[in-house]
Amino acid sequence: MFYRQSGIHHTRYAATRKLWPLAADRRLLGGLLALALLAPLLLPELYLNSYLAPWLIWTAAALSLTLLMGIAGQLHFGFAAVMAIGAYTSIHLARAGVPFELALIGAGLAAALIGCVFGAAALRVKGLYLVMATLAMQYLVSWVIINVPVISGGAQATLATPEVRLLFIPLDGDTALYYTALGWTLICTLLLLNIKRSSVGRALVAVRDKDFAAAVIGVDPLRYKLLAFFTSSFLGGVSGAILAFCYYQAVTPEQFGFNVSIQLVAMVLVGGLGSVIGAYLGAGFILLLPIVLTNLLAWVAGLELFPVSFNLIAHIPLMVYGALIIAVILFEPLGLAKIYDNIRKYFLVWPFRHAQR
Amino acid sequence: MQPEQRQPHAIGDIALHPHWQSHDHLIHWLVYNAEHHGHEVALRERRRGIWQGYTWRQYLDEVLALAAGLEALGVEPGDRVLVIGDNRPALYFGMLAAIALRALPSPAYPDTPPEELRGQLEAESIRCALVEDQEQVDKLLTIRVAGYGALDHILYDDPRGLEQAPPPGARAIAALSAQGRARFSAEPGLRAALQERTSVHAPAVLLHSSGTTGRPKGIPLKHGHIIAAVRNASRAGYFREGEVHMAYLPMAWVGDFIFSVGAAILLRFCVHIPEQQETALHDLREIAPTLYFGSPRAWSSMLTRIQVGIKESSPLKRALYAHFMPFAERLERDRLEGRRPAPWRRLWRGVGEVLMFGPLKDQLGLRRVARPYTAGDAMGEDVFLFFRALGLDLRQFYGQTENCALCVAQDPGSVSLHTAGRPFPGVELRISDEGEILMRADNVFDGYFDNPEATAETLRAGWMHTGDAGQLEADGQLVVLGRLSEVVYTNTGERFIPTYIENRLKFSDYIREACVLGRERDFLAALVVIDSEAVGHWAQINGVPYTSFADLSQKPEVYALVRAEVARVNALLPPALAIRSFVNLHKAFDPDDGEVTRTRKLRRDVIDAHYAPIIESLYAGRDSIEYEARIGYETGASGTLKRHLAIARVNADRIAEEA
Repeated sequence: MFYRQSGIHHTRYAATRKLWPLAADRRLLGGLLALALLAPLLLPELYLNSYLAPWLIWTAAALSLTLLMGIAGQLHFGFAAVMAIGAYTSIHLARAGVPFELALIGAGLAAALIGCVFGAAALRVKGLYLVMATLAMQYLVSWVIINVPVISGGAQATLATPEVRLLFIPLDGDTALYYTALGWTLICTLLLLNIKRSSVGRALVAVRDKDFAAAVIGVDPLRYKLLAFFTSSFLGGVSGAILAFCYYQAVTPEQFGFNVSIQLVAMVLVGGLGSVIGAYLGAGFILLLPIVLTNLLAWVAGLELFPVSFNLIAHIPLMVYGALIIAVILFEPLGLAKIYDNIRKYFLVWPFRHAQR
Repeated sequence: MQPEQRQPHAIGDIALHPHWQSHDHLIHWLVYNAEHHGHEVALRERRRGIWQGYTWRQYLDEVLALAAGLEALGVEPGDRVLVIGDNRPALYFGMLAAIALRALPSPAYPDTPPEELRGQLEAESIRCALVEDQEQVDKLLTIRVAGYGALDHILYDDPRGLEQAPPPGARAIAALSAQGRARFSAEPGLRAALQERTSVHAPAVLLHSSGTTGRPKGIPLKHGHIIAAVRNASRAGYFREGEVHMAYLPMAWVGDFIFSVGAAILLRFCVHIPEQQETALHDLREIAPTLYFGSPRAWSSMLTRIQVGIKESSPLKRALYAHFMPFAERLERDRLEGRRPAPWRRLWRGVGEVLMFGPLKDQLGLRRVARPYTAGDAMGEDVFLFFRALGLDLRQFYGQTENCALCVAQDPGSVSLHTAGRPFPGVELRISDEGEILMRADNVFDGYFDNPEATAETLRAGWMHTGDAGQLEADGQLVVLGRLSEVVYTNTGERFIPTYIENRLKFSDYIREACVLGRERDFLAALVVIDSEAVGHWAQINGVPYTSFADLSQKPEVYALVRAEVARVNALLPPALAIRSFVNLHKAFDPDDGEVTRTRKLRRDVIDAHYAPIIESLYAGRDSIEYEARIGYETGASGTLKRHLAIARVNADRIAEEA
């Protein structure tokens, strides 16, 4: 109904790989982008820095992980550790007086290098064994951060982020922090979209689908698996740094615990493996749904229609949230992205049921 | 005519049309476009998924290079050059190259069987052929082996299967234009000379009548005829400059030459050529043309496609369609009858445009079509109304190959279901005393090729006799009744035009083709060919298992379905003309068997001969027949296949009561 597909033709092969060939998609994206850019004017501070900014940063993290898990097919259950490496590296670099831009790149490189060391395990093992190897990374990194005072600043310590400037603009105030987060998420989004339509992306998919089959057709699995670990860890490291600087503004080891890794995996799975839009939807679902549910329950309790114990208020959102995750995975194993895709296709073939010959 | 008299550029020709400007020819306008709009895209072809374009400058370059190549081969002014194949840029370039040399391109339908093609080659003593691919080369080689030795040159576009060992006399068109380009560097001045060689009085193309009766007749159309036709039509607003056009109809059909070559050059169309005939509908959607011509049959199969698609669609979409389509059809009917719809109804139609009509047009690729046309046959009222209701300003044309097909058309203000419209400016129209439609205009041809008797019969005192029966309404609108020669009488003296009843039958989704019998018989009967797509879908929904088309056609359920359709048509006819029995044929009418022409007009004498046993049993009152079907295989061999065909009676009760 909204989509107009007639008249779309290509005069060069390069044009067939256009990201959004349909005008309706471009309009939707333009609208969303305008809203995102105008958000500091439209939204109160609370929503901007406690909902929108973290959503964007976690989306960047989920995008980094979906590159590895969804596109390259390498499971990673220690991605919080990758982000922790990035966060700590950037803080230490910034404190040492390194410009923030370089600190971010340093954060990415440190995360990428250490990520690759553990990722090298992926060259030998697959599936559950790879999960174990990455879990080991989670615990090792956590342990090192906690127990090496040079990194963590001492037991139970919290490192506050120093004041920095990004491209000569001081990072203070919600608006600057928000735009930094938005900028990074957009960079990750464009990067992923372009990886997916390039030969690198197709090679990664080939490795994901069957690594020795990929080797047979001339895709070196070793190289592409390492490339996936490197790129994904780099993006994860920078996302960790952005998370520390633009949201927490301080880091402690607990912010990057095992449960965070699991949440990241959940974002990717619920959103849809390998999908860019899925990362947005998954991060929103995992991050914002508990808040929405708690607020909803608090509102219901506030009506005082029936007595609600505080215990219940604390637990019901968690139970509903768990149930919803299961429901999404049961209803559509390919995640929220697939649900969106189904809705889009319903309108794409309107008024027919399926595409006409 | 004797060969030495065959010079197309005799002085007498100029005397025929003294007011034509001699430089006013297609090549002149092609050069004009190349000079003034050199960088605009003139032609696009979908090749391996990509629309590869030629600008007007490249277009002219290709045409002139090929012309120089053809001249080097020995193509002389007045020579006929066969053009056969699906629409391809190289074939259009080749036609224009021949035109530039004042030779005469003679296009043939790509599926013409060898014997028929040989007839054309012999009648026009063709020595040079431009063909699409190896398939056509093989066909021409067969003809050469069979005894037509005069065919010296076969030029092919697609080298696949021919590169390694081209048969004697066969060359790639690309090689020929390379040779032509080499001539340009060797002979300065040749390029300019080639642009000037033809004239408005020279014939531009040799088309052929469809041949419903007897052998096809060659119809030479001159530059002046074509240009007059296009100018008349564009003056009346039927074409605009720079239309986006799809060239998907056969090149041998007059409409394709007029639209894709004549109007395209004069009005700078951007012509789009689909990848294959099979992908034409898909490619149509990719292009979304602004001008679209479809035969009534094409429009009706488009409608069938929509209806089948909606039937299998989800409930909400189906419900919206079921509400909005009939609503818009009622609205359109009111409009055609001259009533202005109430504002709320127009508003509601706007809602429908968003929800249903816009998306439907987009699905078909007709979203940008501002000028949709049809011609050539009667169009079903429901089809006509449907597309008009959809918001397409569908209009009918009336014309023949002899007058460049552009003579009469419905203008936007006065579209009605039964009239063909008003003549174009510059076209004189008259009804003779016998009720025949007569025409006089600059776009009427000057005589058949090598056939003075037929010319004398058709062109009398400057008027072209169309052979169609018609009448003029008070407001100048022409009503076409049918072929004069097709009026038939039954034994009881009832007068009818079979095509008229057949068209009414074909308006049903389930009936693809029909042949109504009754000439010198006691009552009417029909041979019916079911529509495999619509009936197949119906069978699927209603749980009727079937294996093949032949099997499906003989199912009792399908007979019941078709009987209901025939009864519906009978209700519209006077009782004496009711169809009392029919048979579902096991196969469609096939141009390869000679049962229909390439433009799918019935050849009644052939059908009468092929199906004689069936027809006899239709009138003998039997319930079924064992029919030995003759099958022609592609190898040329033929065999027989025994078929058991059921015969159905319609309204038997009522007829029995009357008796």
